[in-house]
Order: sequence, then C-alpha cells, then structure tokens
Amino acid sequence: MKRQLQDYKSVIEPVWCPGCGDYGVLTSLQRALLNLEIAPENIVSVSGIGCSGRLSHFLNTYSLHGTHGRAVPTALGVKAAHPELTVFAVGGDGDGLGIGGGHIAHAARKNVGITYLLIDNQIYGLTKGQTSPTSPLGVKTKTSPFGVFEDTLAAIPIFLAYDVSFIARANGVDSKSLTQILMEAISHKGMSIVYILSPCRTFPLLDSKGLKAILQPLPEDHPRGDKMVAMEKAYSDKPIYTGVFYQVEKPTLEDRLQNVIKQVCEKENGGGKFSLDKVLKSFA
Amino acid sequence: MDNSNYHSEIDFAIRIGGEGGEGVISAGELFAQVAARTAYHVFTYITYPAEIKGGFSMIQIRIRDGKIYSMGSSVDYLIAFNQQAYDTTIKDLKSGGMLIYDPDEVKLEDNIKAECYPIKLTKLVTDATGSKLGKNVVALGALGHLFGVDFNVLEQLIKDRYGSKGGDVIKNNLNALKAGYSSGEKNNWKPKFKLVADAQAKEHYMLISGNEAVALGAIAAGCRFVAGYPITPATPIFETLTDLMPKVGGRAIQLEDEIASLSACIGASFAGEKAITPPSGPGLQLMGEQLNLASMLELPLVIVDVQRGGPSTGLPTKTEQSDLKFAIYGTSGEAPRVILAPSSVEDCFYQTIRAFNIAERLQMPVLILTDQSIGYRKATVRIPDLSKLTEVDGSKLTDEILIPSPEKIEIARRIEMDPEKLNGYKRFLDTPDGVSPITTPGLAGGQYLSGGLEHDETGKASYLPDIHLKMMSKRFKKLETLSNALEKNPPEYEGSEEAKIGVIGWGSTEGAIREARLLAEQRGILFRHLHPKVLSPLPERQVRHFLAGLKQVIMVEENFTGQFAHFIKAKFGVKPIEIHKSEGVPITPEEIFNGIEKVSRIVDETTIARL
Repeated sequence: MKRQLQDYKSVIEPVWCPGCGDYGVLTSLQRALLNLEIAPENIVSVSGIGCSGRLSHFLNTYSLHGTHGRAVPTALGVKAAHPELTVFAVGGDGDGLGIGGGHIAHAARKNVGITYLLIDNQIYGLTKGQTSPTSPLGVKTKTSPFGVFEDTLAAIPIFLAYDVSFIARANGVDSKSLTQILMEAISHKGMSIVYILSPCRTFPLLDSKGLKAILQPLPEDHPRGDKMVAMEKAYSDKPIYTGVFYQVEKPTLEDRLQNVIKQVCEKENGGGKFSLDKVLKSFA
Repeated sequence: MDNSNYHSEIDFAIRIGGEGGEGVISAGELFAQVAARTAYHVFTYITYPAEIKGGFSMIQIRIRDGKIYSMGSSVDYLIAFNQQAYDTTIKDLKSGGMLIYDPDEVKLEDNIKAECYPIKLTKLVTDATGSKLGKNVVALGALGHLFGVDFNVLEQLIKDRYGSKGGDVIKNNLNALKAGYSSGEKNNWKPKFKLVADAQAKEHYMLISGNEAVALGAIAAGCRFVAGYPITPATPIFETLTDLMPKVGGRAIQLEDEIASLSACIGASFAGEKAITPPSGPGLQLMGEQLNLASMLELPLVIVDVQRGGPSTGLPTKTEQSDLKFAIYGTSGEAPRVILAPSSVEDCFYQTIRAFNIAERLQMPVLILTDQSIGYRKATVRIPDLSKLTEVDGSKLTDEILIPSPEKIEIARRIEMDPEKLNGYKRFLDTPDGVSPITTPGLAGGQYLSGGLEHDETGKASYLPDIHLKMMSKRFKKLETLSNALEKNPPEYEGSEEAKIGVIGWGSTEGAIREARLLAEQRGILFRHLHPKVLSPLPERQVRHFLAGLKQVIMVEENFTGQFAHFIKAKFGVKPIEIHKSEGVPITPEEIFNGIEKVSRIVDETTIARL
C-alpha cells in the first residue's frame, strides 16, 4: 500500500501561531520523507526547545522532544547505536546557535549521519520576543529595548569551517525548493545541515516578502565541493543565497564504529566477537 | 561472611612512597601482580597528586591469607624514596616494622622504632643504567628479593610491561631490576616472608580495580554503548570500556562534554541499547539537565559517578563521598532515579549488573556512586562463574533480578510492548507498578512521542493539574515498586542482635567498618552494621528493623556535612552521632573503632568495665 502524507502526521495538531513559517517546514519535511519512501517507524526525530522544537510532536515518528540545545548529541546517540534508522535533529536559532552551539562542531567532526534542521526566525519566539544570536544589529527586542548591540552570528560560514559534509540554506516559505533540499540532505551520507529561514509572524524580523526580495538561489554551476567558493557565497548578504553550499563525502561515525568492531575482532579473535568468558579471562 | 576472629598470621601491608612521576605506583602494581599469583589475597590503595609530575605519590599493598576488607590501619613495610615520602608516612609504620629508604635522599629522625634497611636507589640505578630513571624498578628488585620471589618471575613481569617499548628500555629496566635484587642479597636482608606462586591463582582470580570491575559489570550486563568525557578518577572506566566495546560488538564514543555524553546515552537508550556514561562529580553536575530528561522520558540508563574531593575542581585525585545529595536530589523539579553504592571492588561488578537490571526494569536512570579509593583500588576478585548467568524473560518484574551475586547472576531487559497489541498504544500507560511497556524504533505502529514537557499517558504534552499529579505519581510509584522488592531481599546488616550500638555507612567504607566491628568484638564491644547497597530508595522496613532496640546510631561518611546522615535523619527521625572524614583519604578501621569505642562508653557502662 502506497503511503500518504497523512502517514507522517501525528494525531497532535500543530500549536504554532497562524502564519508561522514552521508549518511550511513541517509539511516540506513530511513530503520529503514521503517522496523518499522512508517508513515512519524507521525515523527518529529529536528536537530541542523553542517553537521549532515542537516539530517532533507533529510527526508520526519515534519522536523525542528533549532539552534546550541538546538535540544534536541526542540524535547522534540514536544514529550511532542504530545506524539503520533515519535520524533528525530539529531546533531553532537560540537552541542550535546559542545554548547548543558547541555541539555542532563535534557532530561535524564525527560526521554522524543525521540531518539537522536549524530553523532560524531571528528571535526567541516561544518566550515572547527576546534577542537571539541571529537578531539583526540595532533591532529592539524585549531584552534589547535600546537595540541589539551584538553582531549577528553568520551560521553558514561556521558550518563550513566545521566542515559539515552537507550544508544548505533554504527559504522556509518556499515549500517546493525546501522539500527538494531536504530530500538531498536526508539522502546524503554523513551529517547534513539545512539552515532554514522561517519568518515569525508574532515578532516579525523576517517576513516572507522581504525574504523573497533578498534571497536568490545559488548559481546552477555552483561547485559544491569547493569550500572557498562556498565561503564567499556564504558571506554574501545581498543577495542571501539559498541552495546547497557544500557537499563532500567523508567516512561517517556509524561506518567508523562498525569498522573498529570489524578490525578488532578480525585482528584479535579471528573475526568473531569476544565471548564474555574471554573478556573476563583477559583480566586474569 | 565469617564473623570469626579476623586476626591472621599472614596479614601485612607494604607501602611505597615517592614523588609523582618516579613510578612508585607502577612498581607497586607489578609487585601486587606477583602477590596476586600466590594463594593469598591482595588489596591495593593508591594516592597520587593532581600534578603531571611531582607531588607525593604512594601505593599500599596489603597481602593476607583470606579476604581483605580494607587497606588496614598501618603498614609493616615502608619504602621511602625521598624525604617527603618518609615525613608523610613514617607515622603509619608499625612499631618494629621495616623501613627501606634511600640514605642519600632521606634523613631519619633519632630513636626510630623500626628495622632500617638503607638502599641507595638513585646511585644503584645510575650505576646500572647511566640514568636516574628506574629507581622504582630497583625497589621492585629489592622487594622481590625480600619476599623470596624468583628472579625469573620479576624478569618476565618487566618484559610483559615494557616489551612494546623496545630493546634499550627493556635492557635498562632489567639492569635496574638486577641491581635491586642483588643489593638485597649483598646486604644480607633477611626475608621475612616468602611469596610462592600458586598455579590455581590465575585460574580463579583476577587482580582488578574497582573501575575495571564496573566496566566488566557493564559488559556482562549486556551494555553495548558507552559515551563519555575524560575526568579523573572515572577515566579508567571509560578507557577500559572503549577498549572492550568493539570486542563485544559495542560502540564507544568520546563526546565534547558530559552534557553531550549523557545526551548520546539517552539517544542510544531510546533506540533500544543499554547505555552507560562514567563521570566524576563535576561531570555529573553538568549532566543534571539530561538526567532530569532521562527520568521524564522514563529511559533506562546507567551513570557511574566515581566521586572525588570537591567542591569545584576540588581534589581531583583524592577520595570523598560527597556527591550523594546531588545524586539523589540534584535536578530541577522532582525526578525519580535510583542510587547504588558498591562496597568493594568485587561488588562494583555485581552492583553494575544490578544497576542495569533496575534501570531496564524500572525504565529510569540509575546512578552508581563509587569513589576514587574504590575506583583505583585493586583487589583479587574471584572470576565470575558464567554458568550462573542467565538472561531473564522480559515479561514481568521479578524480585530475584534485583540482587546479582556470585551464586546467581540474572540479566534483565526492559519490558517491551507486545507487537500484536499496538492498537491504542500508550507509551506512558499508568500501571500498578508504574512501569509502562516500551517500543523500540523500527517497530511499525509503535511510534510515540516522548518529551520533557509534562505529558499524558500517550506522550502528548499536557499542563492539566490532574495529569501532572497522575504522572508524577506514576513515575514515583516505580521507586515504591523497587523499595518493596528490596524489602524481600536479605537484610543488608551484620553483627549481633544484642548490640545497643548501630553503625550505618555506605559505599567504599564497608570494609573499614567491617574490620572495625571485628576489632571491637575482640575488645568486647558489640555493634550492628548496616550498609545498604541501594541508597535510594531504601527498604524502609528493613532499616527500621535495624534501628529497633538500638541506644545509639553512629554514621560513618567520608564527607564534611554528613550527607547520608541528613537523609537518614529526615526519613527515620534518628539522631546519630556522626563520624566524618573529609581529608581526601579513606577512613581506616582504627579511626572508626576509636570513634565507636568512645560512643560505647556513653552507651553501655558495663562495656567500660570489660575494657
């Protein structure tokens, strides 16, 4: 029986504000999973705290809504333990670039095969409008009544420096291209980050019209394997590019862990796993 | 446990002290290996500085013709490499004991009451190898001679230890060994005791540390996932597991910090694996938020905290029992978890298996509290008999699974949802024992939402007053389930029913309290000793039974504020006299005995008459 979009929806109705960009992200993700024919029971969605952290509630997957900033290492544990599963981490700009920002570097070094949806609305929306790491300089928020005085964090160059093996930016409002990018990200072997610009209606620092005016797809001939070209494009703010900036193939954490098991058992035990008896006797 | 006279003809302790980096500990460990190959039991205690090089470092090796419960209260043989080692430890040398020292380094005080054997360690090693490195191997040679160990045995040890380092290293070490050995011969040192190898020893015993015992327990329990971050003194558990995991088909990952480590364990457990992470106190503190989450998600996992001196960076290489309150209560809100405290190196193995069984069966995090002294202690442990090991069926909560022992080791798994009955599946179904059957990713129709927000039985977030109360009760009910099961276990106390004094301790002090009790009994002072292995939840009826009829309760802890005492006072309304040791070193049987002896004077005047 062919699966329907419905098969990826949980019984819980989304609770985001009307017009929130996250609705589009949710639908695009469900569509990408449907298109790729991944069975819902083989998917684990791990999310952090914030509006976007709620995304896992609305997916009919094995869903884990964890703590603030820890979606990436939690998802890493799932994938490392059971590589056959399709694993997501989901979180916002505060979750992923603020409180949990330190984890991305190390997940990237391990190249764990998860897809990380980092949904940026430039604001702490759930807690009603405080400054986030990507709030524009000078903007007034509840915790910057006289204007934000920190520089805005540029996420894509950071991911490039970390050598995340798949890096894309997408317009959350453009469901068609987001679905396409997500399908590529999920199919990528290794860690993929899809950095999604998703407007918040209630605290509108981004809006879909403004996004449309400033966003532009990367050139068709953009060389995905060239980090320096990607870096240049990543720093461009007029236009802000969307699409896949960077993609390289590297061994994944799952493969490396499997290889260690294989090599150790071959070298020290003729290929088979050690029995418990043998383990204990090695201490005698 | 035999309560007979603990006095034994063969029972002595050797201590080697020197500067960190001089290899005193490795020499001591090599000697302990020799001793472990005999028919005797071996027990080591190590203290070392937190510096990379320098600072006082020592190893104590106790050898006995029967079980050993503690490092003892004094030493029979002291080997002092330098003045600091001498000054720090000479007070612990028994009157009439033997002092071996380097006369070029150590100035003795007058009227010293010991047999003094000078040996020019630095000169001997320089003459033998042209370098100052290897004083420890000279000392090993001298000790070997003193205890009648065949030179060949020592030679083989050196070859095994340094074999991978190549020709010159081996050659120099063997020369140093020879210099030490023959120095004993030349100077006519009279061997006091002969350590004769026993072929049976290697068959049945292993000399392992508490940290290694935890690692082996985890492997035996079926744990196939470890995520960690290096931290003294827990690192050896992580190192041992990173080595063992691939051999048994498991996975070991080093993460960027302890938060990520526990996160990864949560992920692995969510995916169905048994997972462990080994922090020490400062790392456990970082794990707070994820410990909370694991409790809320009702996921099985095991955290082993090898406690060190605190607070803050504190005493990284020293021992203390000061994370108990954090372990029991530390998290926002109220999140149930179980606390275990192994009492010996061997117990570390069995309690780790028990921790996994409890975690799996109750679907909650279980913390094992050991400490530096037990983690680094090496002891001869009987190799577990694997024919006593069975995997128990996952259908119901049994009582037996809760106490593995050398006679019976059961390995439990989480209670899974019947795949035929997934229609209307509620992941957090409220049940009589509080445990809800779980599904594992990959099972079609078993998908569920699990979250740190308060949720109803299906996992859907809910902030309704009655749902919060119901789900809090459900989660805490699991502790009651465990506490009830513990009541059916044999009571964890020993000593005379007649006693008017009761002593309560926990964790690594068990052996010292036990020896203090045996010492006290010889002097006519009786006390009962309660040493729970599960600290929270306690089997309350058993504890009340222990307390009944006592005139005075004494609590022994290696911390400053009496953390377990607070817990016991609050739960049972007793007013114990508290013996705290907060010096970074383990409490000795003698120190405990001295405290109890004072108390006995208050409690029982007839006891004084007998003394």
